Amino acid sequence: MRRKLPLLLSAACMVCTLAGAQPKEVHIISTNDMHANIQAFPQLAAIVDSMRAVHPGLLVISAGDNRTGEPLNDLYEIPAYPMVALMNQVGFDLTTLGNHEFDSGQAGLARLISLSNFDYVCANVHPDPKWGMHLSPYKMLFVDGVKVGVVGAVQLGTAGHPDSHPDNCVDIAFTPVLETVQQYKWLRDQCDVVIFLSHLGYDDDVKISADLPWVDLIIGGHSHTQVKGGEIHNGVMITQDSNKLKNVTHTTLTVENGRVTGRKAELINVTNFPAKNKIVEELTRYFCDNPAFERVLCQLEKPVSAYEELGCLMTDAWRAETGSDVAFTNAGGIRFDSLPAGPFTVSDVLRLDPFGNEAVELTLTGKELKEMLIACANADEFRFPSVSGIVCNVVRDKKRPETIKDVAITFPDGVKFDLKRLYKVVTNSYSAAIADSPRQDQGHGLNRTTASLIQDYLEHQGRVDYAGKCRIFETKK
Amino acid sequence: MRVKVNRTDLDLFEGAQVRHALLRYFVRRKYDLKLVEQTPVFDAYGHSLDLDAPLHDGMILKCKVR
Repeated sequence: MRRKLPLLLSAACMVCTLAGAQPKEVHIISTNDMHANIQAFPQLAAIVDSMRAVHPGLLVISAGDNRTGEPLNDLYEIPAYPMVALMNQVGFDLTTLGNHEFDSGQAGLARLISLSNFDYVCANVHPDPKWGMHLSPYKMLFVDGVKVGVVGAVQLGTAGHPDSHPDNCVDIAFTPVLETVQQYKWLRDQCDVVIFLSHLGYDDDVKISADLPWVDLIIGGHSHTQVKGGEIHNGVMITQDSNKLKNVTHTTLTVENGRVTGRKAELINVTNFPAKNKIVEELTRYFCDNPAFERVLCQLEKPVSAYEELGCLMTDAWRAETGSDVAFTNAGGIRFDSLPAGPFTVSDVLRLDPFGNEAVELTLTGKELKEMLIACANADEFRFPSVSGIVCNVVRDKKRPETIKDVAITFPDGVKFDLKRLYKVVTNSYSAAIADSPRQDQGHGLNRTTASLIQDYLEHQGRVDYAGKCRIFETKK
Repeated sequence: MRVKVNRTDLDLFEGAQVRHALLRYFVRRKYDLKLVEQTPVFDAYGHSLDLDAPLHDGMILKCKVR
């Protein structure tokens, strides 16, 4: 009995210790690809407020692409500052960089980071120190005694940098995602919970999960995939919401004795959330009343009164700003047909070209261009596109006017248009999609909206006159 | 890049989004382009995708035109 007493005592101590190690919960609200939907922030803030009332240690995390897609945000005096201000107000803890964060340019992104009250974690982005961009590869957070390690990464496109304009990625080094993230495997030993904050896209998250068994949770973004709560792939939970704050994900991780023993995730609908945070609502209203839209870009010397005149202006802008030989837009892409003489504002441009279309550059033979113009017309209610750099004589069938029998293309200066020569052509992403014609080069997006090209062009011109301009001449035979 | 919508292979520009794949598919099938905005789209796993979602080479999409 005397020999058994110490054993009994130590067993009793162990039971007491285990009873004392109560499971703890880490609560996370995560979002991705908000794309500057600032109008959803009053509801988002109300969700976060109500969750924080119950779980004071709540983490609020974004998987990137916070900006781009809403002119109210992207054209603000400090571009994309409204999102940063609203994320500050909501109390975000962390974000990773999405490819669209680079749309701010290096200096712009550095400025936004410096204005943020939350941290940016992205392990595979290494900016030159001259940019003053304060990024961390990882962060450790402490939630109710639980140590949470978060490592972040952004997708790299075929050009080896995130999908943004190449100029925005100059003097920033990017390293391969998996190789880089594996360097932070030591977080497993240091932390109770390890999260990979990914802007790779769902397919890549599933693939990479096989190589990251040391990660508990991947909070994903980029592909706008509506994962219904959380899914387990290769033992790793993956979450992602669609985009533009339609939903957020509430993830609960149960931690016992330094490891995650339970994971669950559920969606919370933001759009229909019944409450709004009044302060955030006021701040949103302030940002919606954006004086940047009334900024005068140039003077229109004479009134314009036809779609074709404004089509000439739009395509001239795309051609001039991209240095291409030819530019064209589908006729339906010109959204109004008259404007009085006087100031041409940002607001006018956004009404003229409101869809957020991206500029697409293609290298086409003259024959391919001709066929693409006809295919574009056929898919766009048989209206021939507006063009710049060329003049088109369109011959339609007398009995069936929707049928284009031929198009004779010439250059305005009389130089012969060569069907075999290669031309650099710029159009909008809509036209590039609907024009289903044979061509060697499908083209590539320029990571610039066509509206932004028009703004730049008008600012560079100072004064423009498009009254009476016409480059499409139609006959019936 | 080449993507597949239902069983149709489509060649699209680099940087295209789900919307552009659907537009090309609708043109190919002679559907009304106005229906693109109302058409639910899913990835190979069956997840819902929105029209602004980026595409990558080899991606498989499924849609049901109503």
